[in-house]
Amino acid sequence: MDPAALVGLILLFCIIIGIVSSVPIAIVIGVASFLAAVPILGPEQAALVSAQRIFTGINSFPLLAIPLFVLAGVIMNNGGIASRLVDAAKVLTGRAPASLAQTNVVANTMFGAVSGAAVAAAAAVGSVMNNRMVKEGYDRPFAAAVNIASAPAGMLIPPSNTFIVYSLVSSTSIAALFMAGAIPGVMWALACMVVVYLYSRRQPGRLRSEDRISFSDGLRVIGRAVPSLLMIVVVVGGILGGFFTATESAAIAVVYCLVLSACYRSIKVGDLPDILINAGRTTAIVMLLVGVSTSLSFTMAYARIPDLISETVLGLTDSRVLILILMMLVLILVGTFMDPTPAILIFVPIFLPIATEFGIDPVHFGAMVVMNLSLGVITPPVGNVLFVGSRLANLRIEPVITKLWPFLFAIVAMLFLVVFIPQLSLWLPTALGLL
Amino acid sequence: MDSVKKALDRALYWIVVVLFAMLVLIVVWQIVSRQVLGAPASWTDEGARLTFVWLGLFAAAFVFGERGHIAVEFVARKLPGRSERALAVVVQLITLAFTVVVLIWGGGRAASNAWLQNLSALPFTLGQMYLALPVAGTLIAFYSLYYVAGLLRGTHGPYVELEDESEVVAATVEPLTPRKEA
Amino acid sequence: DGEGRPLRIALNQSEAHPSYIALDHLGEALAETTEGYDTDIYPNETLGAQAEALQLVSDGSVDMAVVSGPQLENLNPDFVVFNLPRVFDDVEHQMRVIHDPEITGDLFSSLEERNNITVLGGFTQGARSVYTDEPIETPADLAGKQIRVQESDLQLAMARALGGIGTPLAYGELYTGLQSGVVDAAENNEVSYFTQRHFEVAPYWSYTNHLVGLDYIIINSDLLASMTPADREAFDAAFTAAHEEHTQLWAEATQEAIEGATAGGATFSEVDDAAFAEPLEAMADTFITTDSQRALYDAARAAAQP
Ligand code: NA
Ligand code: NA
Repeated sequence: MDPAALVGLILLFCIIIGIVSSVPIAIVIGVASFLAAVPILGPEQAALVSAQRIFTGINSFPLLAIPLFVLAGVIMNNGGIASRLVDAAKVLTGRAPASLAQTNVVANTMFGAVSGAAVAAAAAVGSVMNNRMVKEGYDRPFAAAVNIASAPAGMLIPPSNTFIVYSLVSSTSIAALFMAGAIPGVMWALACMVVVYLYSRRQPGRLRSEDRISFSDGLRVIGRAVPSLLMIVVVVGGILGGFFTATESAAIAVVYCLVLSACYRSIKVGDLPDILINAGRTTAIVMLLVGVSTSLSFTMAYARIPDLISETVLGLTDSRVLILILMMLVLILVGTFMDPTPAILIFVPIFLPIATEFGIDPVHFGAMVVMNLSLGVITPPVGNVLFVGSRLANLRIEPVITKLWPFLFAIVAMLFLVVFIPQLSLWLPTALGLL
Repeated sequence: MDSVKKALDRALYWIVVVLFAMLVLIVVWQIVSRQVLGAPASWTDEGARLTFVWLGLFAAAFVFGERGHIAVEFVARKLPGRSERALAVVVQLITLAFTVVVLIWGGGRAASNAWLQNLSALPFTLGQMYLALPVAGTLIAFYSLYYVAGLLRGTHGPYVELEDESEVVAATVEPLTPRKEA
Repeated sequence: DGEGRPLRIALNQSEAHPSYIALDHLGEALAETTEGYDTDIYPNETLGAQAEALQLVSDGSVDMAVVSGPQLENLNPDFVVFNLPRVFDDVEHQMRVIHDPEITGDLFSSLEERNNITVLGGFTQGARSVYTDEPIETPADLAGKQIRVQESDLQLAMARALGGIGTPLAYGELYTGLQSGVVDAAENNEVSYFTQRHFEVAPYWSYTNHLVGLDYIIINSDLLASMTPADREAFDAAFTAAHEEHTQLWAEATQEAIEGATAGGATFSEVDDAAFAEPLEAMADTFITTDSQRALYDAARAAAQP
């Protein structure tokens, strides 16, 4: 048997059995990538490499945005910053149907656009919105699903580390890619808003806020939120003004939230250890998964599984449309098991030449690949945003997934629009003279 | 065994708190030294990354102590009670096996393999940093054994139930009309 | 023993990079001239970044890897000599020194006992220069400017010698860092300047030529020792052909990068070389601390064209 196929089968078998048997997902992925590496490396080296990969998977500066924004989110929630922001958003959205859920989508898109980290967006926004939404009559899994589904939109809206990674393996313009992602990112958010709207229509009367606020109260609520809103100005302004990078801005957000909470006297020094531990729990769950999935991508690359997949895809058809659909389906499958960065590093060098041979523009291909792989962060078994979002809502992932399906369908529909209508990604960079 | 676990929980709690606080301070120092002092520190990038790895590994051990890592329990919860408990023991044993083979044995070998590989900006070697793998692994192995014993004795159930937050929610959500500032 | 097999090589570059092409051709040559050897290259860091690739070669999980000078300096401080600014006049001088066994023979076998790694030789990474948003002529033009460098004391001192302030920054954040102004300048070779698209955000390239970069090709020592004498001889010949081809490919890639970046709006300009020479050359006295380092430095300088 082809060793790549053998390793692939071991991986698939272990992962399915392990997950169904309620083994922690991080352990499942770790065990599977170790066992699959044993036939090709031997047990000693497989163990060493697996351990080394777990370490280096976490050892990345851009990933630091995750624990820091998670921490900022926890502080915001404990320090009264979050509630002031939601109050203000509510005054503005008023009595529109499902206004709080729509606010959630918009907040996630904006936060993700700036930080480029979907997990960070889900953590910061989710910690603010979940309880609010439940109190207004949304069911808890739906509230979590809205937060989770809309968080990755910001990975497409510039700036975006994922596009930089794509640019480097594809030798395409980063500036052009950034612009190519903007419209698909907005489409992602709009798809979520449409699903929210359709959902609210099936819950007659329930998701309308009944609070009536006088004009002067409204002004006061907004005024109270101004210092909290200034955080966004500080973070965005600092990044655009060149004071700090997107990753570093997460630390600034932490400091800003701490200072504000101290001014509000809502957090005492004695509360800090518990706040750090709460953020530490979420960080641990996500980072262990990042570590073991790095080990998984090593095993797959070492066994040359990506080449096997590419040969299989090309052997099935020579129709341009079918090849595109097949590649997208493979990437959706890859994205369920892998984070976008390793997936791009491994699969783009294999798929891009096929795509260009069929006349597809590399920038267009980048937009569809990044959009496709961004889906992976909200699908199990390796779905960081899904895990963080569920945990913040104090839910297991199963009930959340039930509510996530309509969002996934809508986003996949957007993905196929982006795949088959090149103008959606190429119009903006062309209009700006970048292509 | 319970008292050892309590002491470990406490120690890990403070290790995580200190590492997390260090992480924030190091990244803030990276910005301040560059933007305010105009003398960028050479060690902050490497220092932040390695603190982060240690935080991730020790916090992961802490969460194993709470059995808080994400698992899909949909199928397992449909099993009869005795099988549920047996499966929970198997799950802990798989965790134990992974920890011993990959984190302790593999991590130990990784540490000795890189023991003399200096870091670029900090006065440590990469091998010393890798020590977090076997150390955190040993703690996780202890927790697995603790829960195997607890499951067999019947002092622990097969699952950790997430607490119902609905009451907490009602208490923490503020009223929409503005509160008078103190 | 004696029966060859494809050698797994960990590479941090893409398939289009001169290093990949030269190693691929190395494989073709091995397939023809040895008993069963070939190369099996894993590009794009899919097996890990250079620091881990080093450990994988040491451990035997991977047979060969391409690693940068600072990586080897972390194992043996003598390698610092070839990471110094202005130790090499140009690529031709660098390749002559690196592949002269009289100079580098002991250095290249120095990791065998402790790390099970043999250094086969080097692939040049070309002369590095500074790029920013305006042309630079003298170190004074860089005064107060934050130059992104790699994270080490030597690199920070080099940025000072160039006239600016060294700022370590994660490489993945450099493009947006240059765009937003977190850093004002960066330094690299023309090939990276072009392929990393940095000319889009820092369009003025100034030929400070402060450092000639070098990647080392390392191999697991046990594997090398297990080759039959005939295979070893063929392997050495094929490697020599590979690094010579690489130098040629590098020159072509540099030319293409200059043309590509120019077409993309970049401007390449000369500097007042004498103004940069003195502070850069003075760095050797700070960073050479042992007799063995001094001997390597002197030998390298003696091999420069008069
Ligand atoms: Na973004
Ligand atoms: Na996934």
